[in-house]
Amino acid sequence: MADIAAAPEQLVKAAPPRTRRRLLSRVPHLVVGLYLLVALAGPLLIDYDPVHTSLTDRLLAPGSETSTGATAWFGTDGLGRDVLAQIVYGARTSVLIGASTVAISCLVGVVLGAVAGYFRGGVDAVLARVFDILLAFPAILLAIVIAGAFERSVLLVVVALSATGWITFARVTRGVALTIRERPWVDAARVLGVPGRSILVRHVLPFTAGPIVALATLEFALVVLAEAGLSFLGIGLPASTVSWGQTISNGKEYLEGQWWISTLPGIALSFLIINVGILGDQLTARHRRGRTD
Amino acid sequence: MTKTREYGRSRLVRLAATATAGAALLAACSTTTGGDDADASGASGDVTAAGTYPIESLDPHGAQGASTGTQLAGQQIFSRLVKPDPDGTLKGDLATAWKPNKAVTAWTFTLRDGVTFSDGSPLDADDVVASFQRMISLNGPNAGNFPVSTMKKTSATQVVLSSPAPDASVPGKLGTFYVIPSGVGKDDSAYFNHPVGSGPFTVDAFTPGESLVLVPNKKYAGNKPAPRRVTVRNIPELSARMTALRTGEVDILWGIPDDQLASLKGEKNLTVRTVPSSAEFTMWFNSSTPALKDAKVRKAIWQAVDFKTIIDKLYPETGRAADAPVTGVVLGHVPQPPVAYDAAAAKSALTDAGFDFSKKLRLQFANAEFRPFIQAVVSDLQKIGVKADPLEKEQATFTEDLIALKWDINFQQLATPSYDAASNLGRLYTCEANRNGYCNKQLDALLASAGATADKQKRTDLYGRASAIIWRDAVGMYPMSVSIAYAWNSDLKGFTPDASGLPDFATVGTGGS
Amino acid sequence: MIRMVAQRLLVGVFVMWGAASLIFLIVRAAPGDPATVLLGPDADRTQIEQLRESLGLDRSLGAQYVSYLGDVSRLDFGQSHRLGRPAMDAVLDRLPATIDLTLTATAVAVIVGLTLGMLAGGRPGGALDRVVSACTIALQSFPTFWIGIMLVLVFALGLGLLPSSGVGTPQHLVLPALTLAFPFIAIIARLTRTSVAETMREGYVQTARSKGLGERQVLLGHALRNSLIPVVTVVGVQVGALVGGAVIVENVFAWPGLGSLVVDAVANRDYAVVQGVTLLIAGIVVVLNLIADLLIAQLDPRIRTGAV
Repeated sequence: MADIAAAPEQLVKAAPPRTRRRLLSRVPHLVVGLYLLVALAGPLLIDYDPVHTSLTDRLLAPGSETSTGATAWFGTDGLGRDVLAQIVYGARTSVLIGASTVAISCLVGVVLGAVAGYFRGGVDAVLARVFDILLAFPAILLAIVIAGAFERSVLLVVVALSATGWITFARVTRGVALTIRERPWVDAARVLGVPGRSILVRHVLPFTAGPIVALATLEFALVVLAEAGLSFLGIGLPASTVSWGQTISNGKEYLEGQWWISTLPGIALSFLIINVGILGDQLTARHRRGRTD
Repeated sequence: MTKTREYGRSRLVRLAATATAGAALLAACSTTTGGDDADASGASGDVTAAGTYPIESLDPHGAQGASTGTQLAGQQIFSRLVKPDPDGTLKGDLATAWKPNKAVTAWTFTLRDGVTFSDGSPLDADDVVASFQRMISLNGPNAGNFPVSTMKKTSATQVVLSSPAPDASVPGKLGTFYVIPSGVGKDDSAYFNHPVGSGPFTVDAFTPGESLVLVPNKKYAGNKPAPRRVTVRNIPELSARMTALRTGEVDILWGIPDDQLASLKGEKNLTVRTVPSSAEFTMWFNSSTPALKDAKVRKAIWQAVDFKTIIDKLYPETGRAADAPVTGVVLGHVPQPPVAYDAAAAKSALTDAGFDFSKKLRLQFANAEFRPFIQAVVSDLQKIGVKADPLEKEQATFTEDLIALKWDINFQQLATPSYDAASNLGRLYTCEANRNGYCNKQLDALLASAGATADKQKRTDLYGRASAIIWRDAVGMYPMSVSIAYAWNSDLKGFTPDASGLPDFATVGTGGS
Repeated sequence: MIRMVAQRLLVGVFVMWGAASLIFLIVRAAPGDPATVLLGPDADRTQIEQLRESLGLDRSLGAQYVSYLGDVSRLDFGQSHRLGRPAMDAVLDRLPATIDLTLTATAVAVIVGLTLGMLAGGRPGGALDRVVSACTIALQSFPTFWIGIMLVLVFALGLGLLPSSGVGTPQHLVLPALTLAFPFIAIIARLTRTSVAETMREGYVQTARSKGLGERQVLLGHALRNSLIPVVTVVGVQVGALVGGAVIVENVFAWPGLGSLVVDAVANRDYAVVQGVTLLIAGIVVVLNLIADLLIAQLDPRIRTGAV
C-alpha cells in the first residue's frame, strides 16, 4: 500500500544477466504459478467451509489433531477453523480481486491514456487534471473512504481499488502514445486518411503491450497488498469471504498465546508479493532492454 | 570544477539548514502529543482507570449523550434527579422523593435543599427545568426517552414531569438526565472546557478521546470523594490496556473479553470480578417476512442453535444463558422455561411447517466484536440446512435497515440502561413501534397496562406475562445475558463494579502503600 | 521561477476544489447518515427525521454542496456532530501525532536508505549489493500491517523491549515508525544505488579516482550529492503514500493520529471529519509536492535556468 506510488522506473534494474542465474530467475514464475494453481484448484483439494465453525477445536497449535481426526497443519483460529484452509481460500480471494482490479484499471487506463496521448487537446488536458486531483489523495485513503462508505462486497473492494489503480496505466500508455504518434509510419497513415481510431488500435496500442504487462504485474502486487490492508482494517469484504487480511486481523487478538493465526497467512502473502515483485521487475527490465536494442 | 562543487555545497548547507529548521518547527508544534507519563501513579490518592470507550464529549445532552464515555464522565461531574446503584436499584440524587399522580402521567420530584454547583452558585428548580429543555431541544439520543414530555417548576424545590400517556418508567429513564446550570447553549465549548457541575468531581483537564482528569468537587453536597485525583484514560488497544494494568500504570480496567480474562485471573495482586449487566444478546426475527411468519418456524430456528456450547466456548466468563427477554437486573424480569438445543426436532418442525430451505436468511449485525458469535450461529443453522448470510453493517446502515425491517434476523447487544422493562419491552414490542414485524394485540394491552401502573409488583407481574408471550412466540432468540468483567489493583479499597459499566470513583480509596 | 510558482499554485487551488468535490460526492452517496449513527438502533423514524432537519441534512444536495464549498474556502470544515465540536479542532488535535510518526519514519527511511544504497551502489554486482537488493525487495513486499504485528510479536511480546502500542515515551514511537519506514527504505535504497552506480561510471569520478582520492571521499563527495535529487523527488512524491501507510500503521499500533480518526469517521458517517482529514492530507500533499518541485529546481541548475 505504502508503495503504491512507486513507479516501475524506480524498481530494481536487473543486474547484468548471467547464464547461471537463468534457472534461478525462473523461480518467481514457478512460485506465482503455484499460487495461481492453489487459488484455482486448491479449494477442490482442501475442503473448507468458511461458514463452518468447530468450537471444540478452537485455538489448536499447528500440527494438532482436530476432533474429526484430521490434522490442522497450520493450527486453527478462535472459532476452530483451519488456518491452512483459510490461506488457500484467501489466495483465491486475493487473486480474484487482484486480477479483476488490474483488468479494470488496465482497460480504463489504456483506453483513456491512448486517446489522450494520441489526440492530445481537450481530452489530454482534462485527464491531466483528473490525475492531479486523484493523486492528491493517498491511494489507500481514497480506497478506505470508498470501501468504508458502501455496503460490503467483493465488487466494492474492486471498485475502491480501481479508483486510483488506472492512473499509472493511463500515464504509461499516454507516454508511449505521445512518442509513437510522431513516428513516420503513423504520420504516413494519417496522411493516407486512415481514421484516428484504427491508427490507435493498429499502430499505437501494440507498442504499449510490453510496458503494460510489466506494469500490470507490479500493480497486481500492490492491489493484493491494498486489499489485505482494507480487510485488516475490517473494511470492504463481507464476513463470509475468506481473506488473508481478515485472518491476520483476527489473529491479532490472540498474538500473545497463539502466534500462528496472524503469522502464517502473512508469510503466505509476503511470499507471493515478493515473487510477483521480482517477476514484474524482470518484465520491466526485459521490455526496457527490448526498447533500447 | 572546484567552484561548482563549493557552490553546490553551500546550497546543500542552506537546504539542510532549512530542513532542520522546518523539522524543529514541526517538532515544536507536535510536542503536545506526549502525554505526561511522569505522574507517579503509586502516590496515594491517585486512581487511574481505563474505560471501554473514549470520552469524546462532556455534554450529557448532546449527540454523544448516550455514549458510554460521556455517561461515565457525566455521572462524576454532574448530578441527576435519581441515579441507579451499582446493582440497578434507583436512589435519589438531587431528588429526595418522587411520586406519580394517579394516572401515572405526571411525576413530581422534590429537590434536595442547599445543593450548589462547583462555582458556589445554588442549584435550583430552574436549572433542572432548563437542563431538561436543553436535552429535548438538542434532539440527542437521550431526548428520545421523553418524546412529548414537558417539565415544569411548581415551586423552588419541586418540578413536575408530565407526558400525555401514562409512563411508569420515568424515574428509571431519568438516570441518564444530568443537570447543568441554566444558560448553557448548544456546542458551548467555553462551558464544556471547564464544566461547572454538582457531582462529586470537577474537571482538572480534558483531552477529547484521550483522557479526563478529575479532582474532588469541594462544594459537593455528599460524602467527600476519597481519591485525590482520578484519571480516566482511553487506551484503544486491548493488549496495551492489559499491559498497563499489569504494570500498575492503570488501576481499574473493565470490559475485558473472555479470552484475555483467564490470564488476568492468575495475577495475585489483581482482583477480577464479573457483574451481571442489563445487556442481553437479542436476535429478533422479522415476523413480517413470509418465511418467518409462523411462530413454530421461529421457535425451531431457535432450537437449532447450540447456544450453550457457543456461550461455554466463546463467553465462558461473561456469558450466561438468558432466561427472559430482559436480564435479571431489570425490573420486569421473570424467568421463562429454557429453550433446549435439539437439531433433529428443529429440522422436522421446519419441514412440517413447510419452511423453504433454499432461501437465505439475512442476519445483520453491526460490530466486528460479535463476528465470531454470529459465525458460530450461522454454522449451527447450516448444520440443519438453514442458510443464513452474516451481514456485518456499519452503524449508519445498520440502524437504517433495522428500522426499515430490511433483515430476517437482527442481532443486537441490547442494554436497558433504565433498568426498567418499559424502555425495552414496552417501547420496542408494540404493534405501533413495529420494530420486528411482530404484532399482538394481547401483548400490546399487557405492555400498556404495565406502563400505566406505578406499583412495582404489579408491573413485574404484567411484564412477566408479556415476556411469556414474547418467549413462546419466539419474537426473537434470547441466547445470552452479558456480564461485565472488571479487574482492579487489589490495593484499591471500596471499589464497586457497576452493572452498567459506569463505575463510581468517589468511593475508591488507595491502600496502605 | 515566479511564474512557475504562480502556475503551480493555481493548479493547487484547482486540485483542492476537485478533491473537496470528490469527497463530498462519495460521502453523500453513501447509505446512512449522521442522524442514524448519533441516535443509534434505539431511535425511531420521527426522531431521526427531526435530527436530520436540525443538522441541515434535509436540504437539497446542491444547497448543501454550495454552503460546504463556501465553508471550506474559509477553512471551516463544519461541526462534527458526533464529537460535538468543530471538525477541524478534532483533526488538528490528531495531526501532531501523525506528523511525529511520518517525520520520524521519513528520517529513518532517508538515513537507512541512503546508507544501504551507497553501500550497494559503491560496488554494483558485489556481494553487498546482492544482499541489499534482496533486503529491499523483501522490505517493499511485506504488508505494513503484518510486519507491524510481527515486530510487536518479537520486540514487545517476545523480548519485552518495547511497548506494543499507544503513545507517551519515545520508545512508543520506535515500532510504528520503523514499520512505516520499511517500504520507503527500500525505495530510497534502490534509487540511491542506481544513481550512485551511474555516478561511479562518470568521467569526473574516474578523474577524481585517478587523482588518488579515496573510495570513501569519492562516494561522499560526488555520488551522494548526485543521488540527492532523486531522493528529494521521491520523498516529495511519496508523501502521499507515506501518509496512506500511516493510516494503516496507526491502526496497528493504536497511534492516536489521523489514520484512526478517519477510519472511525467514515464508519460513523461523520461527514465533517472525513472531509476535514482528507482535505488536510490532500492539502499537505499538494504543498509538499510544490516544495519538492521548487527544491529540485534549486538543486538542479538545468531545471532552474532551463525551460521554465
